Amino acid sequence: MRRFGLTALLAAALVTVGSALAGSTADPGISSDEILIGGTAPISGEASAAAAVARGAEAYFKSVNAAGGVNKRKIVYKYLDDGYDPSKTVQVVRELVQQDEVFAVFNTLGTNNNLAVREFLNQSGVPHVFVASGANTWGADYKKYPWTIGFIPSYVLEGIVYGRYIVKTFPTLKLGVLYQDDAYGKDMVAGLKKGLGSKAKQIVSLVGYDPTAASVASQVAQIKASKANAYLIFAFGKFAVQASIEAAKLGWKPKLVIVNVVASSANLMGLGDLAGGKPINKGAISIAVLKDPTDPKWAKDPGLAAARKILKKYIPAANAKDGYYYAGMASAISLVNVLKRAGQNLTRASLMKAARSQNQPKHPLLIPGIAVKTSPTDGFPIEQMALQRWVSRKGSAAGHWSMFGPLRTAKS
Amino acid sequence: MKGLRGSSFATVVAVVLFVAAVALLPTVINDFQASQYAYVGIYFIAICGLNILTGYTGQISLGHGAFMAVGGYTTAILAAKVGFPYWTTIPLAGIVAGAAGLLLAIPALRLSGLYLALATFGLALATPALIKEYPDLTGGSTGLSFDLVRAPSRLGLSTNDWFYYLSWTIALVLLGAAWLLLRGRTGRSFRAVRDSEVAAVSFGIHLPTYKTLAFTVSAFYAGVAGALFAVVSFSYVSPQTFGLFLSIYLVVGTVAAGLGTMWGIVVGALLIEWLKEPTFEIATVSRTDLVEWADKLLPVSLDPSAIGIADFVFGVVLVGVMLLLPKGAGGLLRRGVTSLADRLYTR
Repeated sequence: MRRFGLTALLAAALVTVGSALAGSTADPGISSDEILIGGTAPISGEASAAAAVARGAEAYFKSVNAAGGVNKRKIVYKYLDDGYDPSKTVQVVRELVQQDEVFAVFNTLGTNNNLAVREFLNQSGVPHVFVASGANTWGADYKKYPWTIGFIPSYVLEGIVYGRYIVKTFPTLKLGVLYQDDAYGKDMVAGLKKGLGSKAKQIVSLVGYDPTAASVASQVAQIKASKANAYLIFAFGKFAVQASIEAAKLGWKPKLVIVNVVASSANLMGLGDLAGGKPINKGAISIAVLKDPTDPKWAKDPGLAAARKILKKYIPAANAKDGYYYAGMASAISLVNVLKRAGQNLTRASLMKAARSQNQPKHPLLIPGIAVKTSPTDGFPIEQMALQRWVSRKGSAAGHWSMFGPLRTAKS
Repeated sequence: MKGLRGSSFATVVAVVLFVAAVALLPTVINDFQASQYAYVGIYFIAICGLNILTGYTGQISLGHGAFMAVGGYTTAILAAKVGFPYWTTIPLAGIVAGAAGLLLAIPALRLSGLYLALATFGLALATPALIKEYPDLTGGSTGLSFDLVRAPSRLGLSTNDWFYYLSWTIALVLLGAAWLLLRGRTGRSFRAVRDSEVAAVSFGIHLPTYKTLAFTVSAFYAGVAGALFAVVSFSYVSPQTFGLFLSIYLVVGTVAAGLGTMWGIVVGALLIEWLKEPTFEIATVSRTDLVEWADKLLPVSLDPSAIGIADFVFGVVLVGVMLLLPKGAGGLLRRGVTSLADRLYTR
C-alpha cells in the first residue's frame, strides 16, 4: 500500500513537471508542428455512401500538409465510424475528446448524431465546427451553443427555395412528400411549407419514414396512391436510393421530382436504371451550393480541377463524380482558411473567434457568388444557393446536373 | 451470491478485496478509461439481475435490453420533461422497469424454454419501434437529452470518476441485495423452480409467485442499469441506444459469467464492454489488438478497421466461450476451488 502511494506521488509529481515544461497555456491536441482534429462519419451502416464526406476532407488535409501545413502545423484528421447511430457517436466523440484529446471536432455527419454530442462538446469547451448537417439549429442557436457551428445551408432554407420554385413554376401540381422523420426531415418540410406559403394545400401527401427502418417501399406506394404528380424526396443514404427505385418499380411517373441536395450525389442519380423500370430521375430538381462535378458548366473550372487532382492523388479509387468527396473538401478548405486566420497562437477560443468572423467571398468549390460569411450574430456560414436540373438521355437515368436560374436566398 | 454463501473467512476476504479493488481502480487508470469502467459497472448490474432470472430461476430472457430501455427512458423523461434531479430518477427507473417486468411475467407464465426465449426476443425487437411510436414523450428517433450530469463539486472528482463511483456503488449495493435475496428461502425456491418445476410444486412452491418475482427483480436491475447508461452516455437516449444487440450482449455476458459468483459477473461485464468498444483493454489487449494479432498469425488477412470485424470477433468469442467455458467463468472458478472430495460427495 505504502509503495503504491509513493509511486502515485511520484507519478503526480512527474505529470506536474511535465505539463509545466510543456507550457500550461496550450489547448489539447495542438503542438508546434501538429493539429489533431477529430471527426465521425458513417463508415458503416445505412448512410455509408456519405463516408466520402470525411474522406474528401482527409484528402484535402493531406494536400495541405504536403505543401507545409497551416502555419507550419500539419493537420492530423482522425475520424471514427459511428454507423450513423447517435448512441455510437456519443461513444466515439468521448473517445476523441478524452482519450485522443483532439483540438476540435470537425465535419461530424448527421443531424441526430450531432444533437447527441452538442451539449457535451459545448460544456467541455471543445470546438464543434462545420457540422456536416444542415439542421437550422446549428446556426439559429449560436448563443446557447457558442462552440457549435454548421457549414452547409440550413435545410429550412433549402425547403423554402423548393417551395417558392414550385409556387412560381408549377402552381397546379399535387405534391407528394417523403421525408425522414427526424429533425432533418422536419426542417425540410417546415421550409417547404414556408416557401409554399398560402399554397401549402398543394401538398396532398406527406409521409415520414424512420431512419432506422429497413425500407421505404410502403411509404412510396402510399404517396403514389394519393394521386400526387410531383414527388419530393427529403431522404438520406440508402433511403433516398430506395425512394427513387421503388417509385420506378411502381411505374410511377411524377411530373416533377425534387431530391434534396444531401441525397443528390451522382451515385444516387444513376441508380434509377437498376430497378428495371423506367427511371424517374429525368428532369429532377435539386439545390446546388457546390460546383457539381457532373455539370459541364464547370468542366474547365480551376477550383474543381484542383480538387479533382487532389482526389486522384490521395484517393485513386474514388469516383470523381461523387459529390460527397467535394462536399467534404469544401468544408476542409474553409476550416484551413479559419485555422490560418486564427493565427500562430492557435487556441480553441481563437479558432471559434475566426469561425464566427468568416468572410470568404470566393470559395474555390462553391458556385461563384456564394460566399462563406459569418458574424458574431450570424451563425449560418452559407446562405445562398442555386437550383439545378438532372439532364439525362431518353430512357436512361445516366446524365449530369445542370445549374439554372439566379442565386436564391431567404429573401428572394 | 453463491460464492458468498455462509460467512467463511475466505468469503469475507474476497469481498473486502473486491470492494478495495473497485475503490482503488480509478487511481491506476486514466480519466477516459474510468468512463469505460463505469459502463462495466452498469453491465455488472444488468448481468447480476439477469443471473437471478436465468441462472437461478431458469427462465431465459433474450429481451433484457428492453428493460434497460424502460429504465433509461424513465430517467430521461423524468429529468427532461418533469425536471427531476437525475439521481432521484435512478430508483424510479428501476421501479418502472420492475413493473414492466411484472406485466411481462404474467403472460410469460404460460411459456417456457424456447417459447419464452422467443417471446422475450420479440420484446427486444419491438421496444425501439414502440419508443418511436410516441415521439412527443420519447423524442422519437431523434432521441431525448437531459441536462449533463457533473460530479458534485465538493468531492473534487472528474466527471468520469464520478460516473465510475456512482455505477459501482450502486452495483455493490445491488450485489449485496441479490445475495440477501438468494441466500435464504427465496433463493432455494428459485433454484428448485429451475431444476424441476414438478418437484418444486410438490414441495409446495407456488410457481407463479416465484417466476413473476424473479422477472420483476431482474427487470428492476436492468432498469437501474438503463438509467445509469443514460446518465453516463452524456444524458442522451435514443431507440438505437437500447437496440436488439444490447439484449444479445447481456445474454452473452451472463453466459460468460456463469452461475453465481461475483467474480464471474465481473468477467461477463468486462466481456460486454470489450466486445462493444474497440479500444477497451483487458490486460492491455483490446479487440483491435486481437484482430491485429490474428491478422499476423493466421493465414487469413484481417483488417481491424474493416466493416463487420466487430461482429466477426463477437461470433468467434461467443463460440470460444461456449466451447471453453460451458459453465461460464463462475463455473471455471468453482471447478478450480472446489476440492475433488467435495465434488464426490455432492454429486
